[in-house]
Amino acid sequence: MESFLQSLNSFFAQSDAGAFSPFLNYLVYFTRYMLPVAAIAILLRCSYSMLRERYEPEVWGYLDLPDGSRVPLRNWECTVGKARSSDVVLDEASAAGTQLVLIRDEYGNWTAYDIGRGGGADINGEIIPEEGASLEDSDQISIGKSKLRFFNLTEQERGIISERRTSPGKVIAPGAMFRFVTVFQFLVMYQLLYFCEEQYRAQIALSFAAVCIIMWLYFIIMRTIGRKGFEVEALAFFLSTIGLAVCASSTPGNMLKQVLLLLAGIAVFLILGSWLRDLKRVKAMIIPAAAAAVGLLAVNIVFGSTILGAKNWLNIAGFSFQPSEFVKIVYIYAGAATMDRLYKSKNLLIYIAFSAICVGALAIMGDFGTALVFFATFLVISFMRSGNIATVLLAVTGAGLAGFLALSIKPHIAERFATWGHIWEDVNGAGFQQTRALSAVASGGLFGLGAGNGWLHSIVAADTDLVFGMVCEELGVLVAFCAVAAIIILAAFAVHNASQGRSAFYVIAGCAAVSMMMVQLGLNVFGSLDILPFTGVTFPFVSLGGSSLISCWALLAFIKATDTRKSASFIIKDPSKMHDWNEFSEREAEESGQAEDGTEEDTRDLFDRSDEKRGRGR
Amino acid sequence: MKKIKNRAYFSMFIALGLVFGLCIFSGKLFADGKDWVMLRANQSVFNEGVLDTGTITDRNGVVLAHAGDGVFSYAEDETVRKACFHAVGDYAGNVGTGAISAFNFKLAGYDFINGVASVTGNGGKVKLSIDSSLNAVAYKALAGRKGAVLVSNYETGEILCMVSTPAYDPSNPPDTSTPAYEGVYMNRALGATFTPGSVFKLITLTAAIENIPDLYTRTFTCAGGVQVGADFVHCTGTHGQQTIEQALANSCNSAFSEISQELGADTIYSYAEKFGFLKSLNVSGIDTVAGSVEKGEAGTSNLSWMGIGQYNDLISPIAMLRFVSAIANDGLAKEPVLLKNARSSSERLMQSDTAQKIQEMMSYNVAYAYGKGSFPNLDICAKTGTAEVGDGTSHAWFVGFLNDKDNPLAFTVVIENGGGGLVNAGPVANVVLQAAVAEK
Repeated sequence: MESFLQSLNSFFAQSDAGAFSPFLNYLVYFTRYMLPVAAIAILLRCSYSMLRERYEPEVWGYLDLPDGSRVPLRNWECTVGKARSSDVVLDEASAAGTQLVLIRDEYGNWTAYDIGRGGGADINGEIIPEEGASLEDSDQISIGKSKLRFFNLTEQERGIISERRTSPGKVIAPGAMFRFVTVFQFLVMYQLLYFCEEQYRAQIALSFAAVCIIMWLYFIIMRTIGRKGFEVEALAFFLSTIGLAVCASSTPGNMLKQVLLLLAGIAVFLILGSWLRDLKRVKAMIIPAAAAAVGLLAVNIVFGSTILGAKNWLNIAGFSFQPSEFVKIVYIYAGAATMDRLYKSKNLLIYIAFSAICVGALAIMGDFGTALVFFATFLVISFMRSGNIATVLLAVTGAGLAGFLALSIKPHIAERFATWGHIWEDVNGAGFQQTRALSAVASGGLFGLGAGNGWLHSIVAADTDLVFGMVCEELGVLVAFCAVAAIIILAAFAVHNASQGRSAFYVIAGCAAVSMMMVQLGLNVFGSLDILPFTGVTFPFVSLGGSSLISCWALLAFIKATDTRKSASFIIKDPSKMHDWNEFSEREAEESGQAEDGTEEDTRDLFDRSDEKRGRGR
Repeated sequence: MKKIKNRAYFSMFIALGLVFGLCIFSGKLFADGKDWVMLRANQSVFNEGVLDTGTITDRNGVVLAHAGDGVFSYAEDETVRKACFHAVGDYAGNVGTGAISAFNFKLAGYDFINGVASVTGNGGKVKLSIDSSLNAVAYKALAGRKGAVLVSNYETGEILCMVSTPAYDPSNPPDTSTPAYEGVYMNRALGATFTPGSVFKLITLTAAIENIPDLYTRTFTCAGGVQVGADFVHCTGTHGQQTIEQALANSCNSAFSEISQELGADTIYSYAEKFGFLKSLNVSGIDTVAGSVEKGEAGTSNLSWMGIGQYNDLISPIAMLRFVSAIANDGLAKEPVLLKNARSSSERLMQSDTAQKIQEMMSYNVAYAYGKGSFPNLDICAKTGTAEVGDGTSHAWFVGFLNDKDNPLAFTVVIENGGGGLVNAGPVANVVLQAAVAEK
């Protein structure tokens, strides 16, 4: 080990002595051009894998309508009602806009909830109680004068679905993305070793090696348990690598701590992901989690330390962390809901109250940026949740929260608004940070000056609020744009998966998580570039800060939860493990050969129920 | 569930916003990146506020200035350092129009794609069009007198020699408060105006050629001067009967007084304006000082003196250089540039036949009045000027060009309070031109 470090040092010693070997010079100069190539390769591979694979239409049951048509149920949560936006539209005058919510669990059992006002509905003559009634195959549902019949899937049909689900990896090998991330890591590490001070070389080399090993260990473990989708993690590792480079440039002494924080983040990701597998226990914990968050905020307001004008920090036993990062996770956890809960006003009011408390607490603490992020997430969640009357309620609350926000405009915030657009008029005063960030960005050009070769890291908040400037300066504008693109790809992934979402909970949570990340990203990047006022929020994954990094990995769990491809996400339970479908699938595979062409849009070919009535396909 | 799914797509509006913002940023970076880089606090370019990067060389690669890692150096040779003091400038920032300030972003090595990154980390290279050895020759020829020397290639516009004195060695700055260093930070070639004296007659002559049809058949009589109104416009000698060529060669004030009265103040003024004497020129991004001409009232001696180059006429050496370059180049002025092989735009100042007539007359000046012997082996066309400045002294001017396809050089020499134009400025021009031609 010692000799390895010595040879490492002597290899780079030439740069220390100032007597640059021309070859090394050209090599480092050349690696600058390779960085964006590697970054773009990672992004292209991930997005191709995530977004190109088409989903086969899935059908989970049928409803026979009074007019004789058969409607396939394509989601695990469906609405039945008069409104045209319902999944199953019922032409029944006495029915409510949204009368019933039918929910399927991962075991294949259906439950019906009656959420409409008025006459109500019954199953086989029995009124549906508050907590829902279970739906069996061939049950008859009556709503007013209309009678519907429900059909569950047969054993055979479930097997066919399982067979035909695409698993990831058809187009791009799962490990390919990690290989590119490794190349990127190596390039960045090389530059850092070249430009850094001698005393930090060991730490930097070790840290990068550690992160690379962690990444491949994760891959191996996941492959062993049969999981095949890694694009989300690959993007997260890519961003975390950039974060590691930022740490190496600004506080090289903390490299090992950064690696430990990364490990902690991955651990939280795995824990939260596993927890999300079971929707029942998720729902049970919503209230306790929300209460804990409120408590934490209260403690923060009372005991918090003020850093840079915002009182958003807690110091416990020498560790400082930002409670609002933890609250972000709970906020999404509490805001997303399964559809049976969405339409109850009681739940809505609780959610609104919780939102108001969060935003209000942040306003009191003076953290305008985070309050804004929460508010934006509130808008996204409420938009996705809103039913009919709910819309009105939420809009009113939205206005109220906006008022809270205005309260938080304390003097130091108002000053930032005043400087917005005028940073060049006060280069050494109010515009200090942003002018230097812009200057550094321009100096870096498209390919950067080389990791560790910049000067912006010496400016206050360079590794948190101005981190986009640091990345531009050292790694280049192209790589910085790739970092932004990585988050946008994660968002596109979550939204794309929504089309195949099974439970409203995962869809809402996933969209809220990516929206939160994007809003935070936008405020951070454009604030440092003077396109928006400076608000002091962090760049997800890249900014230095333990709480921020860990909470971003936690948000990743919500994104991963939307991935319903076969064996892709460890958060989605593999249905084939819950029934004895394997036997059936094997038989099917032997008999019919490989029929995994996923371009069928026509449901008629999915199941052969030619002896029964065909449904109105969509 | 369908409703929720459809609403999920609205999250992508945020993504659109991000993309939009990045596009705006890219536009700003492309447009303003050059200025952002030159922030004094940018430690990749400046070291405690001083430009700490880049190399300036002359057209042949001789290093004139270099900065890096806090070490600043100038040319190796002391005379070259002094001679190029104004062309290059200094790192202390005393000379506002030097290359160090004028091309600072080039020295920073900035371009949009690479920022300020370079393989050696030494910033960019600026190659001036100036030949430092010519500058040294000109500096020595001025021999401690205050003034300016300019030589350019009239076919490309490149300035080959630009010297302004007084100057000093930037590696060893002296005490500049003494009268000997008066105006030392000003580049007299670009930033100062002087009374032109008889070199202004070239402008009046052009106006005459284009407005007086019988100019070539007339006879101009000089009796040592001419009475204009209540004043006597004196001449430098009694020249008797002259053709226009002889009148120019003699630099006869009587003849030009007559011509000025005939042309009128407005015409003379408009020609001065057309030839760029009254506006600020732009030499590779450096703004020059504008000259001025006051119109004399018709029938008074002021009008006569105006056309002769006295009264309140003031011109800059660079404007005069550009003008004689145009004459040499058959009427097409190539804008003077300070960077080697820089693109130079053109402006037509006069018809080519007018230019050719003036070329011939300026050649005749040398043959008839100045003496070819003073300029051995040079096919030179010129005009002298002795501009009285009212305190008994005169500025010495000598301007013109070489009628030589291999050496298409135009020149302007002015010596502040230097005395007679031919006797004082002429030899300076000769020495510099001999050196320029010998180099070929």
